[in-house]
Amino acid sequence: MKKQTKLFVVMTLTLSLILSIAGCSGTDSSSSKKKSNGLTANGLAGDFEIQYFVGGYGDAWWKDTIEQFQKLHPDLTIKQSAGPKINDQMKPRWIQGNPPDVVYIDGSGSNPRQMMDDHQLLDVTDWIKDAKNIDGEKLIDLMITEPEVYSGKTYTIPLVFGAYGNFYDQAFFDKNGWSVPQDYSSFLALSEKIKAAGISPYIHPGVYPEYIHGGFLFPAIISANGDHGEILKEMGDLKAGIFKSEPVMKALNQLSEISKLGYIDQASPAINHTDSQMLFLQHKAAFIPNGLWLESEMKNDTPADFKFGYIPSLTQSKGGKLIAIPYSTTLAIAKKAKNPEAAKAFIQFVFKKKNALNWAEKTGALMNVKTDLDSSEASPVAKTAMKFYNSDHTLVAPVVVFNSDVEKVMKDATIALTVGKIKPEEWAERVEAAAAKARK
Amino acid sequence: MFHIAKRERFIITFLIPTFIFFSVFTLYPIVRGMHISLFDWSGSSEFMTYVGVQNFVDMLHDPIVWTAIKNDYSLVLGKVIGIMILATFFAVAITRFRLRGTGFFRMIFFMPNIISAVVIGVLWRFIYNPNIGFLNAILSLFTKQPIRTPWLGQEDTALWSILWPSIWAGVGFYFLLLMAAILSVPTSLYEAAEIDGATQSRQFWSITVPLIWEQMKISILHIVMTTLNGSFVMVWIMTEGGPDNSTQVMGSYLYQMGFRQYHMGYASAIGVLILFMSLITTLIFQRLLRRDEVQLS
Repeated sequence: MKKQTKLFVVMTLTLSLILSIAGCSGTDSSSSKKKSNGLTANGLAGDFEIQYFVGGYGDAWWKDTIEQFQKLHPDLTIKQSAGPKINDQMKPRWIQGNPPDVVYIDGSGSNPRQMMDDHQLLDVTDWIKDAKNIDGEKLIDLMITEPEVYSGKTYTIPLVFGAYGNFYDQAFFDKNGWSVPQDYSSFLALSEKIKAAGISPYIHPGVYPEYIHGGFLFPAIISANGDHGEILKEMGDLKAGIFKSEPVMKALNQLSEISKLGYIDQASPAINHTDSQMLFLQHKAAFIPNGLWLESEMKNDTPADFKFGYIPSLTQSKGGKLIAIPYSTTLAIAKKAKNPEAAKAFIQFVFKKKNALNWAEKTGALMNVKTDLDSSEASPVAKTAMKFYNSDHTLVAPVVVFNSDVEKVMKDATIALTVGKIKPEEWAERVEAAAAKARK
Repeated sequence: MFHIAKRERFIITFLIPTFIFFSVFTLYPIVRGMHISLFDWSGSSEFMTYVGVQNFVDMLHDPIVWTAIKNDYSLVLGKVIGIMILATFFAVAITRFRLRGTGFFRMIFFMPNIISAVVIGVLWRFIYNPNIGFLNAILSLFTKQPIRTPWLGQEDTALWSILWPSIWAGVGFYFLLLMAAILSVPTSLYEAAEIDGATQSRQFWSITVPLIWEQMKISILHIVMTTLNGSFVMVWIMTEGGPDNSTQVMGSYLYQMGFRQYHMGYASAIGVLILFMSLITTLIFQRLLRRDEVQLS
């Protein structure tokens, strides 16, 4: 009897274990009752789901835009999956192959390159070439930066536009009689003066080396490449030997030079973006590589007499163009979208000048549409930046998203280079090796 | 007979719910993690490719994994020595030397334990800040030139700089544990020793240590386990594993690989490594610390 009871206990426990494990790994096979997609007299019909991350830009613009889209297509049932944690919340559905129709790729836990590698996004190469918005304008013609081409194909459409660059305090510069350097040699000359005044010429958040990449290294590479931005694309495509090429080496030497001359603040390798920005606002350093969001991010900590100045790059040779390294957050259609027609229609609806102005006013940032911002509420820095990008003297580089393994090695190597641990040659070797591994 | 069956049924009703929760929240993730470690999977893709033990082979050739293991054990060693010396010293000082204000010290030492690790990390990052940090400001009082050492930004000081806050944050709990142990030692033993002319240090080594050995052992094992599994938080908040991966620990490298570089299979393999490392280390420590138990009759 006792043996039997024991057996019973063991079996119940085993069964409960199996049940619990089976319960966890079961796939969600709930089939939603689909309405048929297509066109009705009232426009599009069926279900349509949009996933968007809600972060610094808020969700006011999204709600507004989707409401207008809904009015245009009253028979369409629109579902908004949104929030600051939406990328994590939706992840199981992407894994199970049940994604939303349109996704705005932004925020932590999202990476457009990875989504392409995971074959989750629809190839829109042909469609985007001729797609027009509802005002009849071609989307491509409206965009400030063109969609990224990855292995010859386009999967994402840049929605938000911004660029890295170097920031300084114009008021502080005026007070000290410093003029903003227009090329690398005048940057070196000015840095010597700034250093003599007991201030660090350059500070950057070493925990996030993408800042010094965007503000210093990448522009330097393009300048060294005769102002041709394609080299950045080739780096993104991991072309063999590109990280050892002459322009890259020249740029690395520039970075190594300013580090050897002691122009980079010693605090840099240990600090994150907020720390570096605080030190910059306290005039511990004269220049900081950053993005156009800087002004609004530090709004509450900026001293009253601080006047943000912006210059895209500092590494060009005399007479060379200024180089702006853009960043963008993108929209994409899921490869397994259930209503791709509505998804395309939505993107065509989004890309119009009125929506871009609305974006600038609701978020203070730039949408990837060429518009006249002077009448808008965009920040003064954004307006200055826009003038740079519209000028012939500035080259806006293509948007490139790196393979995350290669990017990590590149970031580590850059920090090692700035602290003098390695030489430019070793930087190149490390990154070439990582690229070779990633190409496999 | 009937009575026994009833009793066992009673026990089962308590066992099964607990066991179900244990299975769902502990066993299942462990088994699933081990399973994923055999695949090449991005963590977000529909497709997983079976690669056998390739992730583990890759790990052998990954220099960062070795750095991480080395750092993990440096932290284990540093924390065990640092925390045990300080906690024992404070506990003895307060209980045996009859200091005044015991309650005050107890509260002060325990304070870091109620602060979240994230807050501690951020706090110490400020202390270490090269330009506006507290540490450099203090050191600069003694030098002509102001000191601007980037404690967390240079490879030879970064890991040490993570160790101190970890010790500081850990002392309080073990201090309380040891203090309670010492207080449970009958005072008559110390009185007898004093009459026999034993010095304080003699009393410490011959009475206190043997009688609180069990608690010391538990403390050491607990420090080992929590460090191997939890050093991630401090590292991630203070350096994110940098500069140039010099402060990477297994936990932070797991996070980096899984959630930043999208190699969930590889990250799971690191997880499995952590599991086995913790198991083996705990077993070894348990062996090393075995001592004849001294019991009060």
